[in-house]
Amino acid sequence: MLQLKNVDGHYGSFKALNNINMTVDTGGLVVLLGANGAGKSTLFNTISGLIKPTAGSVEFEDKILNGMRPSEVVNSGVVQCAEGRQLFPQMSVHDNLMLGAYVHRRDKEGNRKRLNEVLELFPILEEKSHQPAGSLSGGQQQMVAIGRAMMSRPRLLMLDEPSLGLAPLVVKQMFQTIQQINSLGTTVLLAEQNAFAALKIATYAYVMENGQLVMDGDSKAMLGNEEVRKAYIGA
Amino acid sequence: MTTFLQQVFNGLTLGSIYGLVALGLTLVYGILHIPNFAHGALYMVGAFMSYFFMVDMGVHYWIAMAGSAVVVAVLGIICERLVFHQLRNSPPIHDKIAAIGILLFLEAMVHMFWGSEFRRMSSPFGGVMNLDGVYLREQGILIIASTVVLVVALNLFLRKTMVGATIIAMAQNREGAFLVGIDANRVAMMTFAISGGLAAIAATLYAPLNLVYPAMGHLVIMKAFVIIILGGMGSIPGAIVGGMIIGFAEAFGGYYISTAYKDVIAFSLLVVILSIRPQGLFAKGAH
Ligand SMILES: Nc1ncnc2c1ncn2[C@@H]1O[C@H](COP(=O)(O)OP(=O)(O)O)[C@@H](O)[C@H]1O
Ligand SMILES: [Mg+2]
Repeated sequence: MLQLKNVDGHYGSFKALNNINMTVDTGGLVVLLGANGAGKSTLFNTISGLIKPTAGSVEFEDKILNGMRPSEVVNSGVVQCAEGRQLFPQMSVHDNLMLGAYVHRRDKEGNRKRLNEVLELFPILEEKSHQPAGSLSGGQQQMVAIGRAMMSRPRLLMLDEPSLGLAPLVVKQMFQTIQQINSLGTTVLLAEQNAFAALKIATYAYVMENGQLVMDGDSKAMLGNEEVRKAYIGA
Repeated sequence: MTTFLQQVFNGLTLGSIYGLVALGLTLVYGILHIPNFAHGALYMVGAFMSYFFMVDMGVHYWIAMAGSAVVVAVLGIICERLVFHQLRNSPPIHDKIAAIGILLFLEAMVHMFWGSEFRRMSSPFGGVMNLDGVYLREQGILIIASTVVLVVALNLFLRKTMVGATIIAMAQNREGAFLVGIDANRVAMMTFAISGGLAAIAATLYAPLNLVYPAMGHLVIMKAFVIIILGGMGSIPGAIVGGMIIGFAEAFGGYYISTAYKDVIAFSLLVVILSIRPQGLFAKGAH
């Protein structure tokens, strides 16, 4: 479904992505593990078209994503729920969600249906519908962010550290929801530092260090891998 | 009391014009982070276009206003495409220099076509109503009413339509807007179009009370900058309230102090208010 071939990325002269080769298969839940500063967000933003790769190609289904504008990438079905949530803080929860449907704005009926599905996923958002998104708790804001991304009807949903800064109990629910979204038919690419929880729900995993993918494999096998356990799980 | 009410009316009239000009300036700043020094030149071109449509083409005032709004809106889009869009990845100072370049260019063009003399442009609303000694110029009433209509319409557009929501979204979170697939180019062009259209309408509304000449935008743009600094850069209510503050200060100051100091009042007020509230009267960010 998604294929990255020999992707390089730079910030000025600093090489933040080094020869990335990665595949995400349809229906999978692929996790991208890596410490702070490994390059996970840079990779996601490159796929989203916010950053131009300096080498290599990003292919999605039969389209070449590199060189596309961010709006065209969303239109192609690749949607990112970015780090820091990137909500519209003074707008209501409802307006945030509806802006997620921007690329489908002409399909009013479809958007209504989709909104109901998103509210089923996050029932609390129905109550908060008219509150400014910025006034919600961290966990609820993350729900708005994921909900907004779902409103874009992604075929591939990229989630960048959705558990960051959330209380342990909320994190647990968040991972359950992600698994649910995946089982309902959306392919997911998840960037996480929370390796144990992420590997438990994932089908496949990549490990990133200093802008390079250093390891990949079946996530259950990774859970059992001594090296991974030492480096990322601390057990 | 009569003189007081007279100054209230004059203040509302002036404040409406300033508010409309500041509104366009604050939109472009709040959404695209461009301090558009050329905004006063768009205002000036708006007055000349209306003059051209009315005097040279002989069309009705309203049609001239609409035509001028369209022309200046397109001119705004051209400025965005040809100049500011090209500079989007350059340091902010380049935007400022380019804006001054556009200002000089537009003034030179108008000079070339129309010369530098002062022109009179009349409107069908030349009458004056006498309300117990308070003189209400019809043009003034028109200005106030038009401003109310435009501000309400702009608010409805920004809050109730998907296109309007994309503009607000871009102002509140640029990256968030990209992530939902909003096209930055479309928003930028639309913002410049609205900004230019508002400037042209303001100029056409005010021209019958004033004169039309190539340098007519200078003081207006300086005051508009004062207004958006007072009101908080990027704030829509701030632009309107700030416009009213300056309009009232000039009307009352002009009457009770001296008309000679009228134009100094805005700038004195800026110094006073900023020393009390450096962030402006309203918090920053578009609402
Ligand atoms: N805008 C930027 N300009 C320069 N360097 C950046 C920028 N964003 C990230 N970096 C650097 O790129 C590297 C990867 O960062 P990032 O992709 O944010 O990592 P992660 O998401 O894995 O924490 C880090 O060394 C970081 O300092
Ligand atoms: Mg990151």
